[in-house]
Amino acid sequence: MKHVRLLVLTEDLPRASLTLAETESFHPDPRAPVETEFVNVPGRRYRDLFQQARSRLDKIAKLAPLPQDPRIDTVRVVGAEELDALNQWLGGLWAEAFQYEEQLRHLDEEDRSLKEQESALANFANLNIDLGMLRTKTRFLDFYIGSVPRENVRQLEGAVGLAKHILFNYMITGDHAHVIIVGQPGGAEKAQLSSVLTAAGFQHLPIPQGLDSEPQELRRQIEERRKALIEERGTLRRRIGAWAEGNAERRLDAERTLILAEPFVTLDPSIRSAGHLACLCGWVPARDLAKLEARLRQALALPFQMDARKPRSDERALVPTVATKSRLLEPFALLVKQYGIPQYGEIDPTPLFAVTFLLMFGMMFGDVGHGAVIALAAWWARRRIPHFYLFGVFAGISSMCFGLLFGSVFGYEEILPALWMSPLHDPILMLKVALGWGIAFIIVACLLGIYNRLAIGNTVGALFEHHGAVNLLFYLAFLWGGYRLAQVGSFGTLPALLVIGSLFALAVFQWRHLQAPTGEKVLVVLIETLDTVIVYLSNTLSFLRVSAFSLNHVALSLAVFTLADMMGAFGHVVTVILGNVFVLVLEGGIVMIQVMRLQYYEGFSRYFSGDGHAFTPLQLRRRPAPL
Amino acid sequence: MSQAAAQAYLNTRVSMMSTRLFQPGQLAELAQLSLPELAERYGLAALLDEQVTTRAKGRAVEQGLIRLLLSELTILARPMSTTERALVMAWARKYALFNLKTLIRGKLYDLDQKEIRENLYDLPPNVRLSHQELFRAENVLELLRQLEQGPHALIARQAREAYEQRGEPFALEAAIDQRYYAGLARLVRQFHDANLQPVRHLVGTLLDREDIQCLVRFRFSYRLSPSETFYQLVPSSRLLHRERLLELVNLETLEQVIEALPPPLNALLAGCGNLIEVQQHLHHYMTAEARRILGQSSSGVARALAYLILRESQLRSLFSLTQGHLLELPVQFVEIAVGLTDPICPVGTMAKAA
Repeated sequence: MKHVRLLVLTEDLPRASLTLAETESFHPDPRAPVETEFVNVPGRRYRDLFQQARSRLDKIAKLAPLPQDPRIDTVRVVGAEELDALNQWLGGLWAEAFQYEEQLRHLDEEDRSLKEQESALANFANLNIDLGMLRTKTRFLDFYIGSVPRENVRQLEGAVGLAKHILFNYMITGDHAHVIIVGQPGGAEKAQLSSVLTAAGFQHLPIPQGLDSEPQELRRQIEERRKALIEERGTLRRRIGAWAEGNAERRLDAERTLILAEPFVTLDPSIRSAGHLACLCGWVPARDLAKLEARLRQALALPFQMDARKPRSDERALVPTVATKSRLLEPFALLVKQYGIPQYGEIDPTPLFAVTFLLMFGMMFGDVGHGAVIALAAWWARRRIPHFYLFGVFAGISSMCFGLLFGSVFGYEEILPALWMSPLHDPILMLKVALGWGIAFIIVACLLGIYNRLAIGNTVGALFEHHGAVNLLFYLAFLWGGYRLAQVGSFGTLPALLVIGSLFALAVFQWRHLQAPTGEKVLVVLIETLDTVIVYLSNTLSFLRVSAFSLNHVALSLAVFTLADMMGAFGHVVTVILGNVFVLVLEGGIVMIQVMRLQYYEGFSRYFSGDGHAFTPLQLRRRPAPL
Repeated sequence: MSQAAAQAYLNTRVSMMSTRLFQPGQLAELAQLSLPELAERYGLAALLDEQVTTRAKGRAVEQGLIRLLLSELTILARPMSTTERALVMAWARKYALFNLKTLIRGKLYDLDQKEIRENLYDLPPNVRLSHQELFRAENVLELLRQLEQGPHALIARQAREAYEQRGEPFALEAAIDQRYYAGLARLVRQFHDANLQPVRHLVGTLLDREDIQCLVRFRFSYRLSPSETFYQLVPSSRLLHRERLLELVNLETLEQVIEALPPPLNALLAGCGNLIEVQQHLHHYMTAEARRILGQSSSGVARALAYLILRESQLRSLFSLTQGHLLELPVQFVEIAVGLTDPICPVGTMAKAA
């Protein structure tokens, strides 16, 4: 990766941005340039215009989606004047769209009001008063019937009381309370009340004609109005459709224009200018440098200067990392990304992760039948999870391979002869294999950790920090001593000296780097040293689960068959099928979690910092048409 | 962290932070300092140097002080339980509502986007509204429609209906304020432990103060009717409960209202002839109550909220001092603004009680 500084004339900035976006190899660096003369931030008006136009077009698309994906056939520079004109046109279009939206909302509100009328009708029928009177105001009484938000009722009751009215809450539906307010007509109170009702969000409920006569007739009227509303909504939708069709082509053009204008806006925070000279910095992969310069020479009419240099050690954390592009490794890269992104210079753990994941998954869940089901299910779902289905396919194939080694098909061990052996035939050997695998895994993880630290020039860290060279020396000596203890009955002098020496070196390193009172330092160093021993021992034993789950798989299948044998012929088949589904879903899920845990905790924590950030180059966004 | 440990941690945090509050007489001492001295003491020098215009300097200082207050709030909120955190966050949400009012006024008076943006507070994510969406709204109606989609749906719907019927911002802003204080009162009712009494006392005092100020303003400055005034008030759980407010809004003069107030408010406000005096006395009263809770209560959340109320008031005073220097106002005006001197306003320039 190289740090690139580009000096261009401000007139050429839109063209330069577009060219950088076309090459898709320039990751902007928003830090201010070293030269203090570059203080201005050009293109603010352009950005404001773009953002408003973008927002307007997106809002319009919510009402009237674009009919197709806006393809970019010709790449051209979009000037500020063109953007301004487009923004103004979109402003007018959005005003029309908003009117349509408001009309739709009013129809929704009327529909809601009809529902409330219906509820009120049912409720009015139970009240022992002549409700026909409520519709017509009298000389002595004024009526307000409607609904208010439920939590406003109490306050409103007090307020209408002050205006010499009384409030009767006769029904509550959802968040709304239906109320009748009665008081003296006319006078100052009426104006006061009107103001209070507005503030309280009071919505009038029209009293249906003939309330005191036939309820069936009223229901019919409400139903007719509802049908009319559906028709009105349909008519409005057709009008909106015709309106959208009328301006679709121009909106597509607008979308294309905004796509072309976007790179300059995206780049805006990384651009500084002084007079007519603008400076923009970024990161470019070393292999793309020559191509980028050639493309700029071809595209820019005015002179420019491009400087490239290696990243300095102090800016290593800012350098982006180019992601793994292998199609086969893509799903594994997604899982690695859940933990973090490799820092610049660090080894990308994706290939190692993929291999070790598949090996462990296969060994823990080795079965030809179950593996085939997983692989086929993943293949079947390839359109739904296009970036991840290969993960399931590979996991299934791995499970099938180990199934062949173990001779297991849906738990049956008599159908296929085992190429190696069934795990239950020699559990001790299985445990030994798992232990050996775990030791190899931890050693490789430590070596990678040491390499990663050396790669960024952290020699002391590579030697003394967690899982560094001294830790590895301790681990190897500890294993050697342990092996001798098992074989000849004694730990051995040399392994013991190496263990003590490496632990002592770690303790001294800890001591020198701790800033604390002596008592606290003694305590911390002691605990940390003890922790080193416990961590390596427990991490190694942790890998025993690899064989434990392969044994578990056989044991679960045996349990299913034992249950099935207790049934009749039909019960046997049903139990075997359900048992296999159970094994597949539950055990498969648990094995997946356990392998991820081994990878993240025993592997990544040793060699992968995960605090890098991804290379996201400036590019033209060919957005699909919104759904 | 257990509840007891969280309370102990929170109380210790509050106690440590409360050493930052002004000591008696410190504000008077600060009022004598020059702008560079003031800026150096409170780390405002960089903010002032970065800006060119006086207005921009003032905005930067105000923004910096609000950021400081909200960063302290974030630290205090960390060990709190869900109910406690909801209360302090709801209190701080007034800054988001200031922004909302700015947006509404900006859209209503068709102000330039740049001008609106310059007047918005930059708030942390746990307090702010979804500005970008709201900022892109082209008119008040669209703004309120967008707000209806979020957690402020009830405020927005009520405000939109008020706006559609009246078309002016007063009803809208009054609805926003009323909902804010009603929300605080509702959150206090969620407490069922030892925190209930001190929290109810503190928020009750806050509501009492707000109710008296609104009552005086709406009844005697805006000349609203008793029913209109009452609807905008939020009954307090302390002194000014619902029945008392119903009595107070029906009175015709400020003197009658003050006489009818329950003790100690009647004694406190005796002799006040206008809204400014009422506000000043209530401010001292609120400060004294917050200090009492900060010093004597064992409730972590009540102490934290009391600290934040006091801190906010003092940061406002600091802002007034800075602003006074920036605008080159006479010292006596600045001292009136920060409450060091009693206001002497010429007759006719203030809202006098009828």
